[in-house]
Amino acid sequence: MWTRRAFLKSSGLAVFAAGLGGCPTFLNRAALAARAPGPFGRRKVLVTIFQRGAMDGLMAVTPFRDPHLAAHRPRLALPTTGEGALLDLDGAFAFHPAFAPMLPLFREGRLAVVHGVGSPNPTRSHFDAQDYMETGMPGVKSASSGWLNRAVGLMGHDATPFRAVALTPALPRALFGDAPALAVANLRDFALSVPGSERLRAAAGQSLESLYAQTTGDLLGDTGREGFEAAHLLESVRTSDYRPANGAMYPASPLGNALRQIAQLIKADVGLEVAFAESSGWDTHVAQGTTEGAFARRAEDLAAALTAFWTDLEAHHDDVTVMTMTEFGRTVHENGSGGTDHGRASCLFILGNDVDGGRVHGRVPELDPDALEDGRDLPVTTDFRAVFAEVAGKHLGLTDDEALFPGWRGERLPLLRS
Amino acid sequence: MSMYVRFLGPLLLILAGCLPAATLDPGSRDRMPYAAAGLTEREAAAHLLSRFTFGPRPGDVDRVAAMGLEAWFEAQLRADAPEDTLDARLARLPALALPDTALLRIYPRPVTVRNRAIREGYITRADLEALPQAMLEDTLRAYMAAHGYRPFRELHGQLFAQKLLRARYAENQLSEVLTDFWFNHFNVAFQDGQARPYLLAYERSAIRPNVLGRFRTLLGATAKHPAMLLYLDNARSSAAADAMTTLDVNMSRREATGGPAVRRRIEAARQRMETRQMPSADAPARPGAQRGVNENYARELMELHTLGVDGGYTQADVEEVARAFTGWTVLPATPERDAIRDRLEARRSAGFVIEGDFLFRPNLHDAGTKHILGETFPEGGGLDEGERVLDLLAAHPATARHLARKLAVRFVSDDPPEALVDDLAAVYRDTGGDLRAVVRAIAYSPHFWEAPARQAKVKSPLELSVSALRALDADFDDPRGLLNWLRKMGQPLYAYQAPTGYPDRAEAWINTGTLLNRMNFAMRLASGRIRGVTVDLPALNRNREPASVEAALTTYARILLPGRDVTPIVAQLLPMASDPGFARRLDASARRAAPPDEDGSEASPEPVVPTPAGLARVVGVILGSPDFQRR
Repeated sequence: MWTRRAFLKSSGLAVFAAGLGGCPTFLNRAALAARAPGPFGRRKVLVTIFQRGAMDGLMAVTPFRDPHLAAHRPRLALPTTGEGALLDLDGAFAFHPAFAPMLPLFREGRLAVVHGVGSPNPTRSHFDAQDYMETGMPGVKSASSGWLNRAVGLMGHDATPFRAVALTPALPRALFGDAPALAVANLRDFALSVPGSERLRAAAGQSLESLYAQTTGDLLGDTGREGFEAAHLLESVRTSDYRPANGAMYPASPLGNALRQIAQLIKADVGLEVAFAESSGWDTHVAQGTTEGAFARRAEDLAAALTAFWTDLEAHHDDVTVMTMTEFGRTVHENGSGGTDHGRASCLFILGNDVDGGRVHGRVPELDPDALEDGRDLPVTTDFRAVFAEVAGKHLGLTDDEALFPGWRGERLPLLRS
Repeated sequence: MSMYVRFLGPLLLILAGCLPAATLDPGSRDRMPYAAAGLTEREAAAHLLSRFTFGPRPGDVDRVAAMGLEAWFEAQLRADAPEDTLDARLARLPALALPDTALLRIYPRPVTVRNRAIREGYITRADLEALPQAMLEDTLRAYMAAHGYRPFRELHGQLFAQKLLRARYAENQLSEVLTDFWFNHFNVAFQDGQARPYLLAYERSAIRPNVLGRFRTLLGATAKHPAMLLYLDNARSSAAADAMTTLDVNMSRREATGGPAVRRRIEAARQRMETRQMPSADAPARPGAQRGVNENYARELMELHTLGVDGGYTQADVEEVARAFTGWTVLPATPERDAIRDRLEARRSAGFVIEGDFLFRPNLHDAGTKHILGETFPEGGGLDEGERVLDLLAAHPATARHLARKLAVRFVSDDPPEALVDDLAAVYRDTGGDLRAVVRAIAYSPHFWEAPARQAKVKSPLELSVSALRALDADFDDPRGLLNWLRKMGQPLYAYQAPTGYPDRAEAWINTGTLLNRMNFAMRLASGRIRGVTVDLPALNRNREPASVEAALTTYARILLPGRDVTPIVAQLLPMASDPGFARRLDASARRAAPPDEDGSEASPEPVVPTPAGLARVVGVILGSPDFQRR
């Protein structure tokens, strides 16, 4: 599985039973390869947020001057002035007011929007569209790997258990594949947990460590030893009284918790390169609302979590890029229940110091019913792979787009300064 | 009984050893070749049980060794053992008593309930926004009760529960192991909302009854099942708008032979057909799903279900196979289902075919000529074309190899010897795809018994958890705790999103996170802290207290790892077990005076026997050990 190098005991880290097993584990390898300051040196980190359910891109970033908008959305169009008004970005597009906390990042030129993004495959099934976006292979159901896993593989760095981590209950399709990837809903779960007294816990833990340490030369032994090391390493990170830097306040939501823990992993310098988090509830078929309501609540949560994460990670801004994604957009026309149905293109956000921010990239045609896809949906003008390849490629230093997105022959959309 | 067996087993062995070889070994087909691999009867029984069951229960290894491995295996292949224990437990799941076609009627989707309630005037569309959530839910509950509907979620709860109950309690274990294998081979993901309500019926009617029959039967059952038709999109695959359909052909034939009245009726029917689209399966009309061929099923059928990715088919074959399956779709699960069925039944002569929830629609079937894997399908075909494709694929040598390898990976090792794959593929071909014959050939192959195959497989989380329950003789009445742990260990049931199914390799199951969770699961299970699961560790040893800590370790290691050499693990664990936290003095007065503290940490400094908490820890560590992760 992993290449083994000569044993080198890393200082300052408890490597249990190392003398029993004799094989160097990832910390040792990392210590060998390390440049200052941490065991893994400074790695670039790509943080991805999947907005499950399909975010209404037209409500998130509204082409507010469009003459057809009011007719399409009599109940859903937001005011352009006064209380709860849209936040003008560039004279053509405006943020939903719930994204107000993100506006400074846009003004500073660190946050970019790409609009009209979607899949060439026209499915309106959440299941299929999420699948295709995560494998990066639209239309190919049997794709065995996810694009983020392939990205990790293409970087080819030494394996650490924390190279690719999803803060989700189950491994997302995007991380399926050959490169080691972890799903941990809560970092607290990444530990040996033995019911009963401290004494029993310690004794049972040591027994298991010793059993795995003495199982040499196979997957179980190797992984077991690395797991114990990783768990010990995380003990320092796992503290429940984690204090975000700069007074950052994460929302107490699943997304807030996920991003807070990703920040903890980044600060702990455990070799994280690709992180995955989810935000759910974007499937606003009913009572989508305007300034308030279902959409606004999701948007507030996203804005709060994202800005807290960025504030918390100030010291790491040069290394971290965040990208959101959602499986498709929603119908341009509102439906009979004050909501919107499954559509085609949506928009996404990219945040980072290298991002060509302060701009709305991509193309949104006028919302003339004749210009809409199937007469109802915002057409896809940018293949999501053109964005993903650019962001992952530039930020993580990947050059082989064909390997990252098999079957894709498109051009990257310029979004990051190289 | 078990005492008797324990003595009788070795006795039979000794007697057998005295008999002339000719009577013992009338032919290599009749005896499993484990002795040649250097295995004792017990070791061999343990190996056999570890592969063809969800793990041995206490005493199973001795029972199988005593009755003879071959006799036990043949009984498993017949799968005719009575299932009283299992049936009594399954009887608590009402969905299992319903016929397939009734499941969706009794357990409608929430969105279906809402739409029906609106249509029937129970609520208005405006209520969805205006009513407080609780009131809306109460109203919908009342509506459901009035119609005899049950909550959709209960259907899935029962799906999960029955899977775990069968794995834990079924006497016909091989059937359940194979059902798990073939479901994964023909995977349909729970995440697919369209396919989800059909999963229970899919496993029960398409998979389980066919796992020991002909592959062609199994393949056909999956091909026609709504779960597969919806999951891989064939239900919405239709002839291109300009293609001639089977209905056109059938009508032309009747037009040519019928009188003027027939011709008039046909013309009227044609016009109706053009103006009215039949309601699709319980879903609003899908934009982007207009007429046209969808290749998903055709591709996966060849790549995953039959030939294998290198099976020698081309993109042209995929397109042609997709055309052959156009019109294979699902009877809509709407309240009008029966009316639609009756209407279509009346039009059998036009070519409509209904089998359960399967519906062949001749008006969507591309009736043009096709060329598939070198064979010509002449113009004018219908349902028979898909059947013929399945015949071709099931009989293809590439399919024989693909399935042979997959079965060898499941039952022998992650990288099985090529010679074994060749042998199994030959059995498949020679028997016309008889899956029972192929499975039998595995157990009679020397490759199955040789050293590289033994303990070579890492258990899946399902195998790990169920084998632990079986080894502990643990009872469970609520699957939720187990389901939660299966998810944590990397195998949420029925929820592998890709049609490939879970990869059957150690690397797919074992990473640092899942391995830690396997150990955590083991520790909690042994301590009786998995919700819904009852464990009685002393009962495993017939409530006899082990005479010493070492005896406890050895006893429980032998119970949990039967037929294996437990000396190394016992030696490794002795230091832990002699920790004062684990043990107390075997002394009546000390026992009475034992402090309430569960780990007995204030007990005598001269420990002799494990405390209950100490015993749980010993068992937990054994279940969490590398040895127990393997089968």
